[in-house]
Amino acid sequence: MTAPAPPTPSTPMPSTRAAAPDGAGAAGGVAGGWAGRARAAAVRPWLLLAPALLVLAVLLLWPLVRVGLFSLQDYGLREITTGEPNWIGLENYREILATPELWTVVLPNTVGFAVLSVVGTVAFGTAVAVLLASLGTFWRTVTSSAIMAAWAMPAVTGTYVWVWIFDADRGVFNDVLMNLGLLDDPTNWFTNRWTFYAIVLLNVIHHGFPFVAVTVLAGLLGVPKEMLEAAEMDGAGSFRRFFSIVVPQLRQVFAVVIILSTIWDFKVFAQVYLMPGGAGSNRSVLNLGVWSYVESFGQNRYGFGSAIAVLLTLLLLAITAVYVRTVLAEEER
Amino acid sequence: MSATRTPPRAVSRTRPGPQVLRRGGRRSPLRQLGKGVLVALLLVFTLFPVYWMLNSSLDAQAGHTSSFWPAEPTLEHYVFVLTEGGFGTFLRNSLLVALGTVVISSALALLASVAVARFRFRMRTQILMLVLIVQMVPLEALVIPLFVQVRDLQLLETLTGLIVVYVALALPFGIWMLRGFVAAVPVELEEAAYLDGASWGRMFWSVLLPLVAPGLVATSIFGFITAWNEFIFAMTMLGGATENYTVAIGLRSFFGVHSNDWGAIMAASTIITVPVMIFFILVQRRLASGLTAGAVKE
Amino acid sequence: MTRAMRRSLAAATGALLVAATTAACGGGGSGDSEGDGTLSVWIMQGTNPDAEDFFADVSTAFEEETGATLDVEFVEWGDAHDRFVTSIAGGTTPDVAETGTTWTPEFADAGALAPLDEYVDGAGVTDDLVEGLVEAGTYDEQLYGMPWYAGVRSLVYNTEMFEQAGVEPPTTWAELEDAAAALKKEFPDKVAVAVPGDAEFTVYPWVWAAGGEVATLDGDTWTSGLDSPEAQEGIGFWTGLATEGGYSSSGATTWRETDVLDSFAAGDVGMAVMGSWTPGAIVEANPDMEGKFAAVPIPGQDGGIAPSVLGGSHLSMFETADDKDLAWTFVEMMTTGEFAQQWAEQSGYFPGQVSLLDETLASTDPLVAPFAEQFVDGGASVPAAPTYGAVQAKLTTSTMMQSILSGDADVATASTAAAEEMTSILNGAG
Repeated sequence: MTAPAPPTPSTPMPSTRAAAPDGAGAAGGVAGGWAGRARAAAVRPWLLLAPALLVLAVLLLWPLVRVGLFSLQDYGLREITTGEPNWIGLENYREILATPELWTVVLPNTVGFAVLSVVGTVAFGTAVAVLLASLGTFWRTVTSSAIMAAWAMPAVTGTYVWVWIFDADRGVFNDVLMNLGLLDDPTNWFTNRWTFYAIVLLNVIHHGFPFVAVTVLAGLLGVPKEMLEAAEMDGAGSFRRFFSIVVPQLRQVFAVVIILSTIWDFKVFAQVYLMPGGAGSNRSVLNLGVWSYVESFGQNRYGFGSAIAVLLTLLLLAITAVYVRTVLAEEER
Repeated sequence: MSATRTPPRAVSRTRPGPQVLRRGGRRSPLRQLGKGVLVALLLVFTLFPVYWMLNSSLDAQAGHTSSFWPAEPTLEHYVFVLTEGGFGTFLRNSLLVALGTVVISSALALLASVAVARFRFRMRTQILMLVLIVQMVPLEALVIPLFVQVRDLQLLETLTGLIVVYVALALPFGIWMLRGFVAAVPVELEEAAYLDGASWGRMFWSVLLPLVAPGLVATSIFGFITAWNEFIFAMTMLGGATENYTVAIGLRSFFGVHSNDWGAIMAASTIITVPVMIFFILVQRRLASGLTAGAVKE
Repeated sequence: MTRAMRRSLAAATGALLVAATTAACGGGGSGDSEGDGTLSVWIMQGTNPDAEDFFADVSTAFEEETGATLDVEFVEWGDAHDRFVTSIAGGTTPDVAETGTTWTPEFADAGALAPLDEYVDGAGVTDDLVEGLVEAGTYDEQLYGMPWYAGVRSLVYNTEMFEQAGVEPPTTWAELEDAAAALKKEFPDKVAVAVPGDAEFTVYPWVWAAGGEVATLDGDTWTSGLDSPEAQEGIGFWTGLATEGGYSSSGATTWRETDVLDSFAAGDVGMAVMGSWTPGAIVEANPDMEGKFAAVPIPGQDGGIAPSVLGGSHLSMFETADDKDLAWTFVEMMTTGEFAQQWAEQSGYFPGQVSLLDETLASTDPLVAPFAEQFVDGGASVPAAPTYGAVQAKLTTSTMMQSILSGDADVATASTAAAEEMTSILNGAG
């Protein structure tokens, strides 16, 4: 593996590098240091892990179990305040799966949007990274600062800004289109499923590509120049060069970027919920997250909402399983 | 792709000089023009929403005419938002929550990452897997049980409750990322320090900590963003405790009442974006190196 | 690792945790301020005038009388139902809250509210309460919502625009349509009549005026009437103003009542169905509008008055209130006497007490009288079911409106779907 940008501490410790061995030792984690001193004391790592594991257990794992338990109950306001169980077996799941909108609206919206936004974010981010890598220092600094500014925009803020830009009556988008004569009357872009999600996509890509661009750029800068030059001599075209030399070098960078984008893009909630009609009145734009929220906190059907949440989790875990296998396989090599 | 975490070689590669991907020195004017156009388009896409937000926030006519610069420049929206909207309080709350999240999650993640990077013990792989998996769990899936959980802890409607939740959200990513940094610190250094008679604590503070600092910067930024941007938990858990609202739901609540007063909404949006933006541009370089290093050191 | 090292490791871990917890607590803010002489109260805000000054006065008076402090939170209407439900689930309800009349039975059903009959009897005001509000606040034969105020929506119009377009306020549907056409001709860039997609209470008047029903109770079973031919005629007329006439705006498809108010206040709307409490808010939002708008009752199909929702609010006491007597003192103070009267005058709401209400109804103020007429002669109720709040939270009517206005569905299809959903939720299924 080529570690492109390693942790380069700004501490006055030149000996660090000089003393560094050639890799592998540290990765194994067995040799030397604290571990080496007393291998027998197996408690030490657990001591270090304890606080983190405690937090994860109490606030992520147990809730995960609980959401499963809730999903098997008719869990309403009464149950939630008294804590009394009210088991109904798989009834919630049966109802969800029997809802025609699940198949025609909610699942396609969730999965389709996640796929589009992951592909869009990663492709666009990579393209930007490539462009940045080819720029001189000045323009690269200017552009990456601009990218940082986009990244810094909180999701809620970004959503309202896009809503404002696309506002039907007074938004700048309709205004410009009408001035150019491309549009006769103002159009409300939020009522149509496709245009609604196009705006969400724009929002999510705008918010998400900076991470990809910055990460891939750092990776690109780590690709040895000699390799590129060698390819150049062979007369490889720049596209071929990119895919045959650069991409394999950055395989892990891409793995990380893709999986993180997947996680983040599946979690799109505010970006849909805060759009006009996104909170439930426009049924054609519901996704699993909003549906779950609306059913539980709006309709007091916490059990039903939990079942939807479980479905969403399973969907992501399936993707995770594939990913974890890939990552661990890489690590074993 | 074996784990060759070799600082010396890697360092030589960090500064390969600009223009890595340019064809060896060829500068056709056409290419330059094309590149210029691409950069311009990119800048427009990236900055237009930011510009539009600023523009509307400074325009007394915002919402009546759309003009590409403030038709009637004013600061009234800002005055209104800060005095009537309560955004001073929201900013304070968000800062507290974000700082609390950053400090706690970084500390816990660092300890845990030392464990998984420095020790080989039974179930190490399982724990790593667990960390990866919990990171995949969608937030919305946890809203209901976490709400109940935080209620049981008597922390609803408090900033502490939010911090606790955000720490849990930021922790897996932090562990995952710091692991690479800790692993990259040569054990010999610790050995040497130990032989010099350094205590464990000194070894931690003077050897390990400085070396993983860039990683901590990156995890901190992630913790910060998580806390600053988070919406759904803040919405459900803070309920009616307006005095504890964070910027995200403060903005939503403001929007609920002034939904067509776009000048004011954009002013409020600017107020909650600018601090993060300045922070980001300042830490830009460190963020980039931290991210990649963490991401790639699998 | 020596024992000493192990200990220091444990100590370091401990220290971090302590530091962490301290930091967390430092960020804890004030949290719930219940107990010890504080009364927490939620008051709704939305299209009504700013109530902060009023409640500052109330706080002072309350503190003088009881020695306890008042902690008022303003919660916006659009968000309030979810907020209440969440706080009930979390056990973080306030001591007293303004509850919309359609919600009081729902929250009582969830066991969150304390019955008020004893207190009301004790105060001797039972006979003076406005009947409709008492009915709406009663669940299982007990009173859970103390009538505070009522409100009604009528047709508010921009007098300047009407004069310039040379039209008179409409008294029939045909006149309304003609007026809208004239306004559109004169002001092509403005909204002649706002037909908002996310404002259910602006829809029902047309349903009722055409002879339809929102929902009816037969025995134990509710049936929504939104899909009846009459209701469809009403919905068709109202949405037709936008879809066929083009008198509304495409943005209005996703408007809520707050958006209508803002646009009307900005002078961009010719006429709209708006509440009796909005005149104050319009002037507050844009002082230039003072004297430039008026109201008439919502016209019936061929004259007369279209019934409009008699909305309103109760003050409810939550079971979580530690000091229920203190809570009642506040409720009594707000709903009777001086403050009730002041509130009505300032806000444009109708008081929940008969003695005060009569006074308001006799008003000749041009921005009160039309609403009063609507209130007396054209008031109607939404289904009095504890599950109606869930229908509102599901946005059933808004969904119907938006799909019609955006052209995704015709009136028949959309109203049938809405009726089906409403019936199902009202009957506690689904």
